[in-house]
Formats: sequence, C-alpha cells, structure tokens
Amino acid sequence: MNRWLNRSVTLVLTALIGWGLWSVLHWLLLAADWRVVVSNLPLYVVGSYPVDQRWRPLLWMVALVVLIGFTLLGPRRGPLQRWLPLIWLAMAPLGLWLVAGGLVLEPVSTRDWGGFTLTLLLTFGSGLLALPIGVLLALGRRSRLPVLRLSSTAYIELMRAVPLIAVLFFGQLLIPLFLPPGLEINRVLRAVLAFAFFAAAYIAEDVRGGLQAIPPMQREAAAVLGLSEWQSLQLVVLPQALRIALPSLTNQAVGLLQNTSLMAILGLVELLGISRSLLANPVFIGRFLEVYLWLAAVYWLACTAMALLARHLELRLDPLRSDR
Amino acid sequence: MTVAIRATDLVKSYTPGSRALDGVSLEVASGEVLVVMGPSGSGKSTLIRTFNGLEKLDGGELDVLGVRLDAAHEERPVREIRRRVGMVFQQFNLFPHLSILDNITLAPVKVQKRPKAQAEQRAIELLDQMGIREQAHKFPAQLSGGQQQRVAIARALALDPEVMLFDEPTSALDPERVKEVLDAMRQLARDGMTMVVVTHELGFAREVADRVMFMDQGQVVETSDPASFFTNAREERSRRFLSQMV
Amino acid sequence: MRRRSLLLQVGVAALLLALLALLVNNLAVNLLRTGLGLDFGWLGRPSGFALAESALPYSPSDSYLWALTIGWLNSLKVIAAGLVLATLLGVAAGAARSSSNRLLRSLAGGYVAVIRQVPLLLQLLFWYFVAFLGLPETPIGGLIQLSNQGISMLGMPLSVEFCAVLTGLTVFTGASIAEIVRGGVNAVPRGQWEAFRSLGLSEGLGLRRIVLPQALPAILPALTSQYLNLAKNSTLAIAVGYADLYAVSDTTITQTGRAIEGFLLLLISFLLLNLLISGGMAGINATVLGRMRRSR
Repeated sequence: MNRWLNRSVTLVLTALIGWGLWSVLHWLLLAADWRVVVSNLPLYVVGSYPVDQRWRPLLWMVALVVLIGFTLLGPRRGPLQRWLPLIWLAMAPLGLWLVAGGLVLEPVSTRDWGGFTLTLLLTFGSGLLALPIGVLLALGRRSRLPVLRLSSTAYIELMRAVPLIAVLFFGQLLIPLFLPPGLEINRVLRAVLAFAFFAAAYIAEDVRGGLQAIPPMQREAAAVLGLSEWQSLQLVVLPQALRIALPSLTNQAVGLLQNTSLMAILGLVELLGISRSLLANPVFIGRFLEVYLWLAAVYWLACTAMALLARHLELRLDPLRSDR
Repeated sequence: MTVAIRATDLVKSYTPGSRALDGVSLEVASGEVLVVMGPSGSGKSTLIRTFNGLEKLDGGELDVLGVRLDAAHEERPVREIRRRVGMVFQQFNLFPHLSILDNITLAPVKVQKRPKAQAEQRAIELLDQMGIREQAHKFPAQLSGGQQQRVAIARALALDPEVMLFDEPTSALDPERVKEVLDAMRQLARDGMTMVVVTHELGFAREVADRVMFMDQGQVVETSDPASFFTNAREERSRRFLSQMV
Repeated sequence: MRRRSLLLQVGVAALLLALLALLVNNLAVNLLRTGLGLDFGWLGRPSGFALAESALPYSPSDSYLWALTIGWLNSLKVIAAGLVLATLLGVAAGAARSSSNRLLRSLAGGYVAVIRQVPLLLQLLFWYFVAFLGLPETPIGGLIQLSNQGISMLGMPLSVEFCAVLTGLTVFTGASIAEIVRGGVNAVPRGQWEAFRSLGLSEGLGLRRIVLPQALPAILPALTSQYLNLAKNSTLAIAVGYADLYAVSDTTITQTGRAIEGFLLLLISFLLLNLLISGGMAGINATVLGRMRRSR
C-alpha cells in the first residue's frame, strides 16, 4: 500500500472508531440501565434452582474456576499435574451429582435447572458422550468391513446434512417414540442425547482427519514389533491421531458450548433461555442491548477460556515443547 | 549349520504383468550376515519385507525359523515370526508421541508381558550399547537421524530377536551420520546375530558380509562372497552396477 | 483370516440389524399406541396459517405442501444472499488481517476474535431486536430507506426479519471465511512472495497470479463447508420469526403432529440444498483449478 492510501485509511478508521466509541459512551452514560442484569444475577447463574440448595451448583462452578486456574497457572510438574486429566473428566459426573442430587443430597428436578449451570451441564455432558461415539464412528468409517464402513458413513453424512435445531427439535419429539413404552427420559437428558448424537458426527470427521495423517509406516513399525492390530490402534495410532485432531476438536467444543443456546428456542431455560424470559417481564421491557451485551461477555469469556485451556493442553502434549 | 531363512521360488506382483519378485530362492544360515544389493526397483526391499509378512506372497514358500509362510498366509504364523525377527526401516519409524525409553519398552511390556522395570533396565543397556544412553528421556524429534536409527535398532533388539532385517538403514541419513549406524550394525554382526541387510554401503558389505546377493528386476543375479563379488563379479549386470556405484 | 473377517462382518451386521429392529419395533408400538401411522396425505390439506412473506402467491387456504415450498424458497433467498455477502465480507476482512496498515489489521483481528466466540443465535437476536427494530418508525436515508417496518433498497422492499437474518449470517460466517482466507494465504511459502517481488511484479499482480492460485486449492474446500454451515445456520431464522423452511416445518408439525413425516421432508429438503451448494462449489472448483492450470 502506498503511503497516501495508508494514511487516508488510518484517518477514516480513526474517525469511525471515534464515532463508535462516542456512541457507546453516550449510551453507557445516559441510556443504559443495568438493573436487568444486576438484580437478576442469581437467575443467570443457577436459574430457578431452590434458594437453599444454590450452594451446590455454585460449589461446582467454583471448583471449575479453581481447576482452570490451576491448569493454566499452576506448577508444570508435580503429583497433581499427573492426575489433572482424570480430575477434569470427573468434573462432569461431579456436576451432575451436585446439581441433580441423590446420595445424601436432596434431589432437584430438572425443571429447576437453569442459567449458566444448565449451559455448562449440557456442554460437559454431551461433549463427554460425543467423544467416544465420534471415535468409534471414525474407526467404523475406515474399517475394512463394508457393513461397518457404510453404516458409519451414512450416519455421519446424514447428521452433517441436517441443521442442529432440527436435530434438537426432533430429538425432543422422536427420542420418546424410539424408546419402549413406559421408559421416559426428561427434556434435559433428551437434549444432551441429541447434542451428543449430532456432535459425534462432526467429531468423527475430525478424528478421521487425524487418523489419515498418521503415516502407514507407523502401523508397520508397530506390527513388526509384534503388536496386535488392537494394540497398535490403542497405543500407537489413536494417541497420535487425537493429538493431531485436538485443534479441531477444540473448535467443536467451543461450538458445542455456543450451540447449547439453541435450546432456548426449544424452551429450556439455559443462559439464553432465562434471558428471554427475563426480557418478557414488563419491568425490564426493551432492555435488549444490556442483556445481550452481558450474555455476549459471558459466552465470550467461557469460549475463550475453553480455547485457552485447549491451547495449553496442545502445548503440554507436544513432545518437543514439553519439559517432562 | 542350521538354516534361519529358506526361500523357495518367491513370487510377488503389485500390478498384473510385472513382477517385483520373480522366482527368488535363497538360504540364510543362522549367524550369517547376508547383504542384498541391487538398483532401485530390483525387488530387494520387497524381498526383505516378505520375510516378516509385511508383504504377502503371490507364490513360492518361505521358512523363517521353522515357521512356514506361503501365498495363503494366516495371521498366526506371521505374528510368531514377528516376535522372533526384528526389523529396522529406512525412515526409522519411531513413535513420535513416545519418549525414547517408551519406544523401546512398548513391545517388551505389551507383547512379551515383561515387568516394566526389567524392560526399562534392558532398554538402558541397549541404549548404552548404541552409545546414546543420555537420550533415554527425550523424544524422537529431538534426536538426529543417526541417533533415531540407533534407537530403532535398540527397539528391535529389545525383543531379543533371532534374526534382524535391515531395509536400507542408512539411506535417509546425512553422510556424516552413516558411520555411527554402521558401527552399531558391525558390532551386532560381531556378536553373531543373523542379519539380512539391504544397503548401498559397499564398504560395509565388503567388510561385514559373509555373502553378497545381487538382485535385478525381481531376480537373483548372483550370490558370492564379498571378496570375489567386488573384485571380479561373474555377471555383466553386477559389474555395471558396481561401476556406477564407485 | 478371510473367514474370520466374514464372520465378524456377519456379526456386526446382525448387531446393527437387531438394534435397528428394536428401534423400529418401539417406533411401531408407539405409533400404534398414539394412533399415528406413516402417511403423507395431509400434505394436500389447506395449511390454515399465514406466512409473513412469500416469493410466490400464498394464502392460508393453500396446501401444506405449498407452504413448505414457500418456506424452501424463503430459505433459498436468504442463503443465496448470505453466501455472496459473507464471501465479500470474509475476503475483505481476511485481506485486511494481512494489511500493512496496523489499525485496519487489528480492527479485522478484533472482529474475528469477538464474533467467533459469541453464539450466532445471540447475534441474530441482537440484529433483530436491537439493530433493526431499534430503527425509527419513519424511514430515514435516501436510496436505501431504513425503518423498523422494513428496509427499502433502491425501491426493493425487504422485511426487517429477512434483513436481521441476512446480517447475522453474513457477519458470523464472514468471520470464519476471513480465517480461511488468511490461513490459505499464509500457507503459501514466504519464498513465493520473495520470488515474485524479486522479479519486479507488483503486489497486486503477484497476489493475483502467484499467491492466490496456490492458496485457492486449500481455500475452496473449507469455503464449501462454511457455505454448508451458513445454509444450516439459516434455520435459526425461526428465532426472529422469518418464515424459512424450518419455521414452516415447525408450525406444520405442531399443527398436524406428523413429526416423522416432517423430519423426513426436512431431511430431503436439506440434502437437496446441500447438493445444490456442494455441486455449485464443485463446479466453481473445477473451473477455477482448470483455468489456473491452463493459464500456467
């Protein structure tokens, strides 16, 4: 770019940014009314969870924040670091137990789950379920057995052709139809299942990409050492493939967190859903911008934290950078 | 003298009409070092890869350490052979996600079910023997090519094989790294290991080989002791190859 | 070995069939119990609901099938416009990210960083409730007239719902396309830039004749999957009340209770849509790559 053009671009942009800042400032100082956010904070966090039991989801979230902090900032060596992946895995069942109750804790019906707690539960639960299904589908798609290959491929391609909202909507309607009469599962569980079935198809493609990136020589080297096909898959191929797929799996996880907002259309009161019902309250009528900015900030923070964690994991798993 | 490998009339063809192996027969005595030479595409790599079942045969018969393989080969004998035969590749093929130590102990622990501590001790010994003991806790990508190839040799030796196969072990190395790998192989030969080595290293063949086999277009052109092969090869094709090599 | 794989094959097939049979059996039992069987006869009956906008004449007395067709056309309209605008925005933002002007570069970077980490649905709601419904009631502007009743572009009237969905999809997808363009251009080795500069080629010419031809093979497939995403994401239009295919299907199913038939129809429509997009992209791919090869 020549200098003239460069200068005029800078000038125009500065003017635009200045105008934008001015309008924002104007709105913040004169028009914005944050009561819709401030006075409803508990609702955003836990929904209509019973007041005397709120400490349970809060405890879970505090544990999550502590764990994130420890993972990102804690010491790189030490006995706790070795258990870190397991501790992370344990967070989903722990959250489920704390929120749902049972075993000493008083049970709380899923109808009362809501807010950011529900968003996190949906994300964790479906992600954890989708990963193994996705890996199996990826292996199935690369299998030598035509039956397995064709059915995996058909599943993956069909799922990827349909929009998520349709999967979620029909999940709510159809999952009960495919279950034996008498067996009923609640809306949250149906949502988790639908999310998991949907995400698994995308995860499968990412894992398949990772599998394809492993040179065939690696399998040969494993075979020559006498490893069985299963051992070679488990010890040599999959660990490498998952590592290669990690960046795209991270994107899937971030996408999953964002997509839980779609449940607001289907009537769950997760973070976005609870905001919609708040905006329907006459007291807060028209306070869209305040609520949307607040939600955008929360989602942005959560997604960025997730991306940071994954980036951290990538670096730790990279054999060249790790200082083990 | 017991026979380690006996091949009779081996045939392998990748595309109909052309044969990578066209009736190859040979014997390798146990304790012998056989060097296989030939121009690229002569079938020497294919041959050595049939010895542990990496390539399926289209015809002929193989007897490796008393285990039979032929065109209708089953999985079980192949796995038995692989347990007793070690192999080193041109491209090292170390597992990049495992440390050097884990690369070596993986098969002893998972296949032979040896205790981890014992396998690690043996791995350290082997690394010591290869002169790279201090690399044990690094990862493959942190090592030079020559060091990686020596790890690959140690990894194969960790299973206590009766035969070692080398498929162009120095072809992917920088020239100044070739010697360290050849030295390790020389030592192995001195210790009495049965070895089949596909290589272009004339010096190594002349000095270490018991016999040199020359292949071209999927066939064995001649087999002789290194001294007579390098000074007066019988066949025109061998002489032409040798003159191009120098 | 061959026998074992055959046995395994039969086993897997049997397992899958058993699972399928169980599901279908449950489905059949449940359908019988609720008195519903597979039936597409209702498609001919009058829908009874109105649609806010339609490209072709439509009234509530028209059939469900026609209502669904109108929905499909509405989807097509917003998707087609979205593809064009998102590509323009994405390429511009992608180029801006490697611009020599620092302000422009960081502005584009900020756009990508913010937009990709906020749910599309939230963005759609913002565009609808805040940006477009926040417009004054009486039209402002000249050639493009804006008001919260609708937008008139050079005399062409567009509904607020359409504009909100289009803006949301464009801004959201544009951010992903910007990343793809940047990634593709970055994947071309630095040596290529140095080479064309050392030959005295101008930046523009070098970008067009040297860098882009090498970047495109990497960009096009990723672009296709973004286009497919845009098409699928257009179904979020239901949240702002735009009568797209999914919204009409949703209403239809709620009215008729024909969930399975509705799902099948939606599935087929989307397979058709995907085929249209990936077929079009395959054509573009072939011509672009073919032309590049010829011009070389």
